[in-house]
Amino acid sequence: MKTTTTPWLIGAALAAILGSLLTAGCNRGGQETSDSRPRVALVVKTLNSPFFLDMQRGAEQAARQRNVNLIVQAAEREVDVERQMQIVENLIQTHVDVLCLAPSGSKELVPVVGKANRAGIPVLIVDSKLDEATAKHDGVATATFIGSDNYEGGRIAGAHFGALFTNATDLIVLEGIPGHETADSRVRGFRDGIKPFPQLHVVASQPADNERDKGFNVMQNLLQSQRDVKGVFASNDMMALGALEAIRAAGKLGQIKVVGFDAVDEARQEIAAGNMEASVAQNPEAMGRLAVENAVKVLNGEKVPDYIPVAIQLVTKDTATPPQE
Amino acid sequence: MNWKNLILHHGRQLGTLAGLLLLCLALTIATPYFLTVSNLLTVLEQVSINAIVAVGMTVVIITAGIDLSVGSILAFAGVVMATVLQREVPVPLAIGIGLAVGLGCGLTNGLLITLGRLPPFIATLGMMSIARGGALLFTNGRPVSGFSDGFRALATSQFLFIPMPTVIMLVVYLACHFLLTRTRFGLYAYAMGGNEQATHLSGINVRRHKTLVYGLCGLTSAIAAVILTARLNSAQPIAGMMYELDAIAATVIGGASLMGGQGTLIGTLIGALLMGVLRNGLNLLEVSSFLQQVIIGTVIIVAVLVDMGLKAQKK
Amino acid sequence: MMDAPPLLAMHRIGKSFPGVRALDGVDFDLRAGEVHVLLGENGAGKSTLMKILSGAYRPDEGTIHLAGEPQRIASPQHAQALGISTIYQEFNLVPHLPVSANISLGREPRHAGFLLDRRAMRKKAETALRELEVAIDPDSPISALGVAEQQMVEVAKALSLDARILVMDEPTSALTETEIANLFAIVRRLRDRGVGVVYISHRMEEIFEIGDRVTVLRDGRHVATRELGTVTVRELVRDMADRELTEHFPRETVEPGAPLLEVRGLTTRTKLRDVSFALRRGEILGLAGLLGSGRTELARALFGADPLQDGEVRVHGRPCRFRSPREAIQAGIALLPEDRRQLGLVLPLSIKRNVSLPNTHRVYPRGLLRKTEERRLAEECVTGLRVKTPHIEQATANLSGGNQQKVVLGKWLARQSDIFIFDEPTRGIDIGAKVEIYRLMNRLTREGAGILMISSEMPEVLGMSDRVLVMREGRLVGEFNRANATQEAVLGAALGTTP
Repeated sequence: MKTTTTPWLIGAALAAILGSLLTAGCNRGGQETSDSRPRVALVVKTLNSPFFLDMQRGAEQAARQRNVNLIVQAAEREVDVERQMQIVENLIQTHVDVLCLAPSGSKELVPVVGKANRAGIPVLIVDSKLDEATAKHDGVATATFIGSDNYEGGRIAGAHFGALFTNATDLIVLEGIPGHETADSRVRGFRDGIKPFPQLHVVASQPADNERDKGFNVMQNLLQSQRDVKGVFASNDMMALGALEAIRAAGKLGQIKVVGFDAVDEARQEIAAGNMEASVAQNPEAMGRLAVENAVKVLNGEKVPDYIPVAIQLVTKDTATPPQE
Repeated sequence: MNWKNLILHHGRQLGTLAGLLLLCLALTIATPYFLTVSNLLTVLEQVSINAIVAVGMTVVIITAGIDLSVGSILAFAGVVMATVLQREVPVPLAIGIGLAVGLGCGLTNGLLITLGRLPPFIATLGMMSIARGGALLFTNGRPVSGFSDGFRALATSQFLFIPMPTVIMLVVYLACHFLLTRTRFGLYAYAMGGNEQATHLSGINVRRHKTLVYGLCGLTSAIAAVILTARLNSAQPIAGMMYELDAIAATVIGGASLMGGQGTLIGTLIGALLMGVLRNGLNLLEVSSFLQQVIIGTVIIVAVLVDMGLKAQKK
Repeated sequence: MMDAPPLLAMHRIGKSFPGVRALDGVDFDLRAGEVHVLLGENGAGKSTLMKILSGAYRPDEGTIHLAGEPQRIASPQHAQALGISTIYQEFNLVPHLPVSANISLGREPRHAGFLLDRRAMRKKAETALRELEVAIDPDSPISALGVAEQQMVEVAKALSLDARILVMDEPTSALTETEIANLFAIVRRLRDRGVGVVYISHRMEEIFEIGDRVTVLRDGRHVATRELGTVTVRELVRDMADRELTEHFPRETVEPGAPLLEVRGLTTRTKLRDVSFALRRGEILGLAGLLGSGRTELARALFGADPLQDGEVRVHGRPCRFRSPREAIQAGIALLPEDRRQLGLVLPLSIKRNVSLPNTHRVYPRGLLRKTEERRLAEECVTGLRVKTPHIEQATANLSGGNQQKVVLGKWLARQSDIFIFDEPTRGIDIGAKVEIYRLMNRLTREGAGILMISSEMPEVLGMSDRVLVMREGRLVGEFNRANATQEAVLGAALGTTP
């Protein structure tokens, strides 16, 4: 008994390691052997959010059309900036031809973009901007920024509340990951958007880290202290959907208007059903598509503009159905 | 030392090393990008942060304890140091202040456990939340970014072609290996973990040394914070989340027992390298991030199963 | 009555452990409706015999008949199914569960096969407790009960199992006078209902009060079975003690020198009351007494491991008050604890590192390891004490009991301590290694050390001590020199039956 367990276990260990590599080998489908297509890497913040899955879908469609070998990678958690940096470092080692990056830290990813520069790999920034001052200080160059104007999206949401409520109204803001460029711009835009409407008061503004369960918990807590709240702005849909659940649980569905950001499929359904007020649509699929298309242009030596805007619009009950494309 | 002795005393580490070499061999066959000097240096640089956090964790686990607060202490020490750095304070002084914050948090853990008689799990669970909250309060939730080139050189420069984070990691390992094997602090750590009562009855001040062990763990977290801050050119209050689990994994893969009394830093370094190489290799192979998590979890479980199998055979 | 076969008949039971013959052809029988007392010194074989009866051990030889039927008791569960219940000194109760759940534990009444039937459980507990005529709330958690009440729960549990044979191991050791009287009333009631009770105790007065017959064991052998109505205390003590000194005790007496350790009026909050004695150079001072008499507590108090409440300790004539073992060790005191696996050694660590542990001032001068010194101390221990091991890197967990004890001794020899407290120095050690330990004790006294030797083995106490102190209930109750220390006298003092 005792003498037989160990060889068995070592066998299991070997099988596990070799098996995993075999799986891995199948997965990549023979990257370097016969494939002469250009290799485009898309590194997003995380793949457990519909927003980035949509972006992945758009990028994959474009990759098929343009005959590009697309590699999509992400950290397990959006807050793990260092892990995203490691992924980029590792991809640099595989000599990808071009890198599209949705940075999970606007300043923190600047050093690794510098590394890509030194390795001669062009970098396209998607969705969230790199911090301009830091990039300039480090002498880091990027080919373009493909994304929506998050500030403008926030402003549109604010203006929507202004049109919606004409009497004195209490509002709540659910912020994203603190210190993050995208979330900051959205919230800043929102605050500027409601400035012309003195009847609107933000009574609480709390971070919920872009996560659905945090959105739920924070909202649930705020409902206890802020009983007269009529509107919620969440700087992404995950938090908005979490907040919506909390409102549903409190039996106040319809009494509190929730406006989110990103217009993911689930949010569109809630809007169409009349449970959620609106969401700012960023069109991540278009971002992914534009990222790959412009990556190919950069590879071919074509000039691309510094900023490629992706249209922004407010999805409301009138425009929610059908979803885009 | 001859071969027989080597196998007798370091059989467990040799087993992990064999696993690491096997993995490297498999990756060399599977992808042409793995076995290059620049990729191997990249791996060494990437593992440095987890490996340094795992040093303190190993010493704590040797004493039959656990420290869940390393990631939060890392964040707290990082933002304090970064804030000081931006006040034009000399770099060594700022680093010293950051390390002092880590040491202080660690010693507080130690005192809660020894004088407060709290179980290590509870005391460090509390500290995990306190230090994280402290970091968020200290910065109002914002990252502290942008440092002098002199400070950033700690992550970006090289020493004899070796990335500076790797050099710092090796220095920390050498120093702590020396501490564990050549000083009585080390002897007491193993003795406390093996049998605290017998150690007390041998005339050893168990409380004092246990407190110091947790202090060391806080200190190594703060050292990791220095590298992380220099590497990202930014100190984030939300940095280091779940780092405690990676550190525990490296320690356990390296042969330490959560029951205490066992473990070596050589083993932990190999364990950290194994995890780093695996992550690197899975990226090179373009494995999806979801499957990566499954594979890493499997490796941890298999490593411990093999370890238990080896121990059962010894008896 | 005489025609019916006895409830229990154990015949020629034998059991060996490595190095020890625990039971050697022991006969024991129990009739329905009697209380049969099992008497003997520590280590006489009482526990082993009862563990065989309760299914915890299997006998090497011999037969067991229950009501005339031959039985092989395979496990504790099997024993319970056969109607044998055992109440150990350490209760088998789950502290946070209520009384009713404890009584039904493992045989919970259920609805539909898996839902707990709490009402039936409660009813069963109530019935059992009512039969005992005790007022215990079945819903109260065990942790809220006193020791005596917990014992009643154990008895109720045994009753609910329909026990025909009830084994009680030292049931009164933690009870007050009134509680003992209550317990006895219940034991008598059980007896009158036809239950056979095996009653293990040291307390002479109790034995005569509750018992019908008594069987005396000594060194794993059956000495005598007597009717308690006709036997005297003196006869029982002689049965327990009378034996030849077959083992070899190589004590060489040394002319005692100056006092090393003087203790006056030592009292602790928990156990010790006004203990006074002196230990001199070259002397082995034996400390006898039953389990729980306070001997180990005395050792711990002298070593600074437990706080003193009152009293004075002088080492080398200087008054000392140790707050930690560290201070006691610095004053030259060494403790070799009874439970050397739990308290004496760090088992996963090597011989080398265990020896280094109290000697870091030598092995780590200025805090840094000197490998040569570390090796030298360990080699000295291994060769000087003849520890049987392939090398000094061996984990102490892998050594035999005798060799472990030598390593514990080696720790303190390297420290050059001169006051040694040996708590059960040869427990669990085979005969050959025992003699070696005795010779080492001789060597220590020759070199001017003093030894306080706590021992439950009467031959060891008598064979090795220059003087013998006897403890009972936390007090010193007798002192004997080599000439007047007889087994009967020492045992009598320990039992509290000195005429």
